[in-house]
Amino acid sequence: MTARIRRLGAVFILLYAVLFVQLNRVQFVDAEDYRTHEGNIRPQLRAFGQERGDIITADGVVVAFSIPVEDSTIEFRRSYPTGERFAHVVGFQSFNQGAFGLEREYNDQLAGERLDQQFESLKDLFVDRDTTGTVVMTMRDDVQQAAQEALGERRGSVVAIDPTTGGIVAMWTYPSFDPNPLAGLDGTLVNETYSALLDDPDDPLLAKAYREVFFPGSTFKLVTAAAAIDTADISLTNPVWPQANVYSPLPSGSDLRNFGGSTCGGDLREALRVSCNTTFAEIGAEWVGPDGMVRTAENFGFNAAVPIDLPNAARSNFPVDYGARLADVDHYRAAEDAEGDGPFLPNGDTPIHENSAILAQTSIGQNDVKATPLQMAMVAGAIANGGRMMEPHVVSEVRSSDGDVYDTVEPSLWRVATSPLAADLLQEAMINVAENGTARNLAVPGLVVGGKTGTAQLGTDPPNSHAWIVGFAGRPGEDAELAVAVIVEAQPGASEQTGGAVAAPIARAVIEAYFNG
Amino acid sequence: MTALERRGSLPPSLAALRPRRVELGLIFLIAVVVVAAYGLASLGQSASVPANIGPFLAWMLGLFFFVHLAVRRFAPAADPVIVPMALLLNGLGYVMIARLGGDVDGGGDLAGLQSVWTAVGIGLFVATLILIPRARMLAQYRYLFGLGGIALLALPLVPGVGIELNGARIWVSLGPVNFQPGEFAKIALAIFFASYLVDAGELIKNRLELRDLVPIGAAWAASVGVMVLERDLGSSMLLFALFVVMMWMASGRTMFLGLGAAMFVAGGVVAFQLFSHVERRIDAWLNPWADPQDSGFQIIQATYSMAEGGLTGTGLGRGEPDRVPFAETDFIFAALGEELGLAGTAAVLMAFLVLIGSGLRIAIRATRPFETLLAVGLTTLVAVQAFIIMGGVVRLIPLTGITLPFVSYGGSALVSNYIVLALLVRLSHEQRVAAAKEPTP
Repeated sequence: MTARIRRLGAVFILLYAVLFVQLNRVQFVDAEDYRTHEGNIRPQLRAFGQERGDIITADGVVVAFSIPVEDSTIEFRRSYPTGERFAHVVGFQSFNQGAFGLEREYNDQLAGERLDQQFESLKDLFVDRDTTGTVVMTMRDDVQQAAQEALGERRGSVVAIDPTTGGIVAMWTYPSFDPNPLAGLDGTLVNETYSALLDDPDDPLLAKAYREVFFPGSTFKLVTAAAAIDTADISLTNPVWPQANVYSPLPSGSDLRNFGGSTCGGDLREALRVSCNTTFAEIGAEWVGPDGMVRTAENFGFNAAVPIDLPNAARSNFPVDYGARLADVDHYRAAEDAEGDGPFLPNGDTPIHENSAILAQTSIGQNDVKATPLQMAMVAGAIANGGRMMEPHVVSEVRSSDGDVYDTVEPSLWRVATSPLAADLLQEAMINVAENGTARNLAVPGLVVGGKTGTAQLGTDPPNSHAWIVGFAGRPGEDAELAVAVIVEAQPGASEQTGGAVAAPIARAVIEAYFNG
Repeated sequence: MTALERRGSLPPSLAALRPRRVELGLIFLIAVVVVAAYGLASLGQSASVPANIGPFLAWMLGLFFFVHLAVRRFAPAADPVIVPMALLLNGLGYVMIARLGGDVDGGGDLAGLQSVWTAVGIGLFVATLILIPRARMLAQYRYLFGLGGIALLALPLVPGVGIELNGARIWVSLGPVNFQPGEFAKIALAIFFASYLVDAGELIKNRLELRDLVPIGAAWAASVGVMVLERDLGSSMLLFALFVVMMWMASGRTMFLGLGAAMFVAGGVVAFQLFSHVERRIDAWLNPWADPQDSGFQIIQATYSMAEGGLTGTGLGRGEPDRVPFAETDFIFAALGEELGLAGTAAVLMAFLVLIGSGLRIAIRATRPFETLLAVGLTTLVAVQAFIIMGGVVRLIPLTGITLPFVSYGGSALVSNYIVLALLVRLSHEQRVAAAKEPTP
């Protein structure tokens, strides 16, 4: 019988060995497949159903929090008490569609899964529900609300940023959406709501303030002006360009005119005050040239990924290819100068390229120049901050549930956009525009406000255009505290007054809300 | 009881091995492991050391030490690893049951009840050691055990007594006590098979006459038939395996293995045709993802649970084993796999293999055929039952609801397994004493 018992033992060992092999398959070899298996809702449930921290504004308004769910395998769902107001920034956490916005970007901190959150104490080594982080935004609910109300039901975006830190104070796009239904528990309903939002031609899901680019129109002249000061020795008062109603580009190309066929010119301050196309076209094409324009635009953040703490920010564009270098300006303009028609030309050696005619257009924000509203707010912000462009961010710190600060977002320089001198001069010029020029609607009594309007023409039949304004505001004798950019999309009309008339009041409302709040 | 069997008077060759000291050391080690696991599970869940860790430790050490004292007193020569392995499995199972925190219908928590069942099981373990000083005496009551086993099997079918639960009619309600008589029937039948085959085995070995097979055939038919009627496939497979193994063991005829396999397949095909739930089980085994919300649900959730655990597990209290249905009973192996990982499940496998190895070693060294057959039968019960449920949970074989010995929640199962353990300890003691008395060649 002993032999049979040994054989039985061998059979048992064999059976258990097979069991062990199968265990290895389930728990090791194929484990990753099973963990990410289509039908395995554990990862989603874990991410979706767990408690997350609050997201609050700088002025203490809770814009996202977790509420317990009764009688469900899902323990918590997200609620967004401010509805659509912060939807584009805060995003939402949905079971079927994943997470968006800050809910995605700060997922680990909200869920308390970062190592510093996990291992704050020995206690936290075992449990993660006490480690959820509260995300504090730089954004202010009162300013955001002012932006929302001032824009009303017009498609457009408003961005307000603290130029000294890069902290975004308000960032609103209309139309927006209510994130609450997307955080619901009924998957079918969530999917239907999401599809309907995707199919909406106005694209309410898209945070256009930082994820969509627009023709910046004349607001881009600020960049051209900075290039003029930094690279072409131009000051606010010298040179003085003759009054003109047309600019004929070099080496050739169709004429470029002012809005409404008007005549303008003068020094840089005057050209900015009235937003003179012909003068800026000439400055870009014949005084600065392709190298200086491209370098300055890129210093201002064009053609680069914006280092913002939100997903999928769009890249603003400034064309870089102007063809081969031909000859210097004086080769073309010498004859005119000899006749004494033109001004004194220290720009005689500015190179003209094959496509300098296009440079004339891009210098006034036309052709293929495109910028996000955030980008244009940062342009105004860099000028207001002595030429220093800070990294934009919407989060200032992450706190533990007990209020201890885990992470602080330190202000950090992104790029030096322009020289302190140019920044100073342009501040002065922009204040002049707000006091005496196209941006008069921006002025706020008791504050120092500078601005620049823009009207990016889209079509002529019927005439319609994006109305823009960018600007900054500060208390007298102090540095500017706020930079703003407003775009109201596709407004009827196409005069340089459109930006000042339509967009400036919105920016002013935001400035007033900020300084009165 | 002879002087030799009394404490401190083991044969010198055996006493030198100090088996009880080895056992005490192992038990202490296991107590440390179980208490640590209990504390970790609580830390993992609520970040706090359980308030009752002191009483728990005292209660468990008390029970463990009580077992040890009983073995020291009543079976001092027994193999020192059998009892510690059972206590390890019981302890790990208890920690998982407590961590899952399930409640019993009608009040009370499962963990509290399981601790009571553990105490009862250990009590019966000691009682068995006391009441059965010699295994041989069991053979005198062979027909009592045979008939008793069949009666216990049939008990749930008696109207007014049996209860149907989760599709199987295996429960009996007698007054305030609910229990699964099948868990005890398997022991009775193992004893009956062992004693009957000691005699019949010799006959079968030489000439096969139908007459010799009648009693044992009746026992088999009754057990399998009753199991089919009660729709308890796991126990049916277990009894069938027990029967085939013991027939083969006693007769030496490999034919019984072939015959058994053929009968098993035939029975399976018939069951597949007759019972929709058998077909469902097979389908769910072959491709659970064909019906993920219904018939495949349990096995899929168990697979995800174990995959989640990976090599080292999520940590006790840190996983979600409660997503698997019946995590305290049929699927406790998956729950252990999720929180302790492959390392934990491999440890459980090893513990069972050590138990099985000890059981078969007892069988080999036993001096008389009855003891050998009984040891084989009892070991087979533990080995096959553990394999059926672990294999089912990891989708190696079709899933059949049956408890994992010593680990799963369940009073009847735990108590009956402690009786099996006591019998193995008794057999081990006798065999080792006898071996020590023989002059070394």
